Order: sequence, then C-alpha cells, then structure tokens
Amino acid sequence: MISKELEKAGLPVAIVSAMYPVAEQVRANRIVKGVSIPHPCGDPSLPPDLDARLRREIVETALKALEAEVKGPTLFSPSMAVSG
Amino acid sequence: MRLELADFPVSEIRLGRSFRYENGALEIDAAHLEAMILRDGRIREASLTVVRPGEHARITGIRDVVEPRVKVNGAGQVFPGILGPVESVGDGRTHRLSGMAVVATSAYEGTVRAGLGVQRSALLDLWGPGAEASKFSALVPLVLVMRLREGLSELDAHTAIQGAEFQVARRIAEATIGIAPASVEVFDLTVKRPELPNVVLVQGCLTDDHHVHSGVSYYGLPIRESLATVVHPNELLDCAMAVNATRCIGYFPITWDWQNHPLMLTLCRDHGRRLNFCGMILQRIRYETFHGKEVIAQNAAQLAVTLGAEGALVTWLGSGNAFVDVMLTVRACEQRGIKTVLVTYEYGGKDGVDSPLLYYVPEANAVVSTGSRDRWLELPEVERIVGPYEQVKILSYPGAPVAEAKGPLTLDARDMVVGGVDNWGKESWICTAY
Repeated sequence: MISKELEKAGLPVAIVSAMYPVAEQVRANRIVKGVSIPHPCGDPSLPPDLDARLRREIVETALKALEAEVKGPTLFSPSMAVSG
Repeated sequence: MRLELADFPVSEIRLGRSFRYENGALEIDAAHLEAMILRDGRIREASLTVVRPGEHARITGIRDVVEPRVKVNGAGQVFPGILGPVESVGDGRTHRLSGMAVVATSAYEGTVRAGLGVQRSALLDLWGPGAEASKFSALVPLVLVMRLREGLSELDAHTAIQGAEFQVARRIAEATIGIAPASVEVFDLTVKRPELPNVVLVQGCLTDDHHVHSGVSYYGLPIRESLATVVHPNELLDCAMAVNATRCIGYFPITWDWQNHPLMLTLCRDHGRRLNFCGMILQRIRYETFHGKEVIAQNAAQLAVTLGAEGALVTWLGSGNAFVDVMLTVRACEQRGIKTVLVTYEYGGKDGVDSPLLYYVPEANAVVSTGSRDRWLELPEVERIVGPYEQVKILSYPGAPVAEAKGPLTLDARDMVVGGVDNWGKESWICTAY
C-alpha cells in the first residue's frame, strides 16, 4: 500500500517482499522476491559471505526492477537460490 | 475409538469443605485446592472465587479457561502429556462439568519485553456489552487468582499456571465419580455409510516455532515446524490439545475452545446422518516463506484426499500472514475436487468498511464469516473486580499506559476480551448489508 502511495506521488517503487502474491494482489508494479517474512533481504542462516552475495543480488535485482518498463504487477526474481 | 461423554451440568458453585455434586450444585473444598496449587513453589499466592453470570463484575488477568473433565474409564487421563504420561486418549468414558469453567488468572510481567512472545492477559465482563461480546460470560466461572514468584521465565510461568488450572479442573470433576449423569453423548466415528459424503475438518494452527511454547500443544508437545497430521476428535474431547498459558488473546482459541471445538462437535453429531466425518487434519501454518506456505497447503489437501474427502471445512487460528497458508489450503483442496468451505473471522476496521481479509484466491467461493475482530467495544464501569489486576494495560507494549480496571474502558479491538473473537463459529451471527 505504501508503494502505491509513493508511486502516486511520482516515485517508481520496487518492493522486496517474501509474500509477493500479496503484493501482486494489491497491484504493486515492481515486486522483487524476498527470502522470508522476518528477513526479506537476506538469509541469516547462510555463512556470512554467501549471505552478503545474496543481499547484493536482491538489491541489484531491485535496482533493475526500478529501471524496467512494466505494465501492471511484475515479479522480479533474484537468480541466486531463494526459497520458492 | 468410542468415547462416552457424560454430562454433569453446573448452575451453582459453592465454596465449602468437601467435593460434592448434586442436581447442578457443585460444592468444592477451596482450601484443599489452594493448598494443592501452592505445592508448586513457583506460585506465591492462590485463591478461588466464584462469580455469577449477570453480576456487575469484571475478571482481569485471564490466562486460560478450561472445562473440568475427568476420565473414569479407558486408557490414559485428561490433559495427557501435561498432568500425566503420554498415553493415547479418546476411548472409554469421560465426565464433564458443563455450564461452568475454571478461569485461570495470574499476575505475570514476563521476561520477553516485546514482539509475539510477550505475555498477554485478557478480561471478561459478566454483564452488559462485555458479556455480550463473549460466550464465556454465560458460564459460571470458578476464578483461580494467582501470583507467581518474581522473575519467572515464560516457560516456568506457563507450566505453573497451566499445571494449577488443569489440576483444579480434574480434581473438581472427580466430584462426579460414581454419580449418574444428566445425559451421555457417544462419540464414535467407526461406521461410515457409503451413500453419505465424506467430510474432513482442516484446522490450521499458527504456531511460533522460536518461542518456548509455540502456542498450541498436542499431548503437551508444542507444535513447531511440522507437516500436517491427522488427529481423532475424541482426543480433543479428552483434552489432548492445550495452549500457551502466558498469552491469552481474544482471537486465540484457549483450552476450553479445543475441548468444545464447535465445528468438530457438529461434524461428529452429523456423522452417519448427513455425512461421514473422516477425520480432523491438524495443520501448522505461518510458514515464513511462500514456498513453505505452498507446501503445507498441498500437504494438507493431499492428506484430505487420502482420507477420502469429498468436502472439507477449513478453519484456522492466528492472525496476519498465516492466513495466506489458509487460503492456499482452500485452493489446494478445491483443485483436487474437494468442495471446500472456509470458516474465518474478518477484520474490516472500526466501521467494517476496510478489507475484511488479508488475502484472496478465486477458489475460495464459499466463506462463512464468524464476525469482525476489529469492532470497538465500550465497557461500562463495574462494581467488582475479580483477578490479580486492579489496573490494566489496554495496549500490550512495554510502558503502555494503564487504566483503572474497574472504570469504563474503550477497547479498539476484541483482542483483550477472552472469547471476544468467535474463531470457529460457536455463536449465532446475523449480517446486515447497508
């Protein structure tokens, strides 16, 4: 909902969410698959170097999503293994 | 599995010097029970009070509500895995004291300061709008008021409170041993009629796997990350399901609800008449990834197919993202050709105009609402407070302002009233469209 309000104000938004179908339901435009509800942007169960790579991957995916032209809700998946 | 549930209705409780049941009047030896409770050194003070429905009274600090029961025949004992060993229950004969409840109250600060593990307690009014908001106001409450030793951990507080209330519940039910009941109901799902539809009940349970008590226990074992499993309804009647006794919230079913699960009871009573009740699926929900939610939904639906289900009731307990697991379960059942009805409370905000549910799937084409959790409640001033708290926090965060428990209270949701949310459709509701 916040992302939609920001977009109304003219700011493109990429929302990183583990509950991406809920984000689709409220028709957020750029949705990035997050890892898990308590930690969408990383995975603390991974060794630190792997977690750092995963975090970078998610942020880069989100930045690419911001640049992309979309027509309606679009899902962007980080290529590193993310549950689901 | 065949269970005879013998009913001893209670309309009056007297604090006396012996345990006796006669024509709806229950006498209990309060001094004996208090001494029994205080054998647990973690409990500093314990007293028993009787309140009458309709009295201008408010009970504070409620941690759980339980119906007194005792097994008089068959393997095991009530509250298996908690009061006694893990022995399979659900067979034989069990006595119940209906129309009354042991209301366990306790002062407890907790060591967890915020988040989903923080201790919570609830209120119950026995009169007025607060009474109308909860089915528990119709029961004669035997209120157990406790104070615990300072600084107890959540696990200690839970086991102390729960141990006390369950021991009291079993001990007073023992007053009926050797007496003829008012009625006996037989619960036996063995024989199925092939011409009737096969129906299952899917009970989603939000549990917190990282807390000392996950919120829901089976034979005393808190359910954590788990795939779906099948339980027998008779196990619920013999009190195999229990809850975390440090967190009582209006939208979380408590021990009494599990003993008297209205959907389970209705399906048992309709068995062999309108349908075949093929079993109850206990499904842990609130997986933290969408992947997990999809797996548990498919897992429960596949179990329903294995039980031969043609129809399913899906219901749940909890809040928030766990509802996604529930909706995915409805979808997974429907996709397998099982006609599925969802039973859920709704949100809707103060005025009932906000979105009633968190998440939707098109397959959820039959949904029964059990009312709104969000409607505000104005509680008038009462004459008498029973329970450990003279002051209450309306909000649960640390340092939240306190209000006089006796005074008029404005509640911004039903969370603080025990039974304030009708999770599984025990009560009758009508809906008006404006």
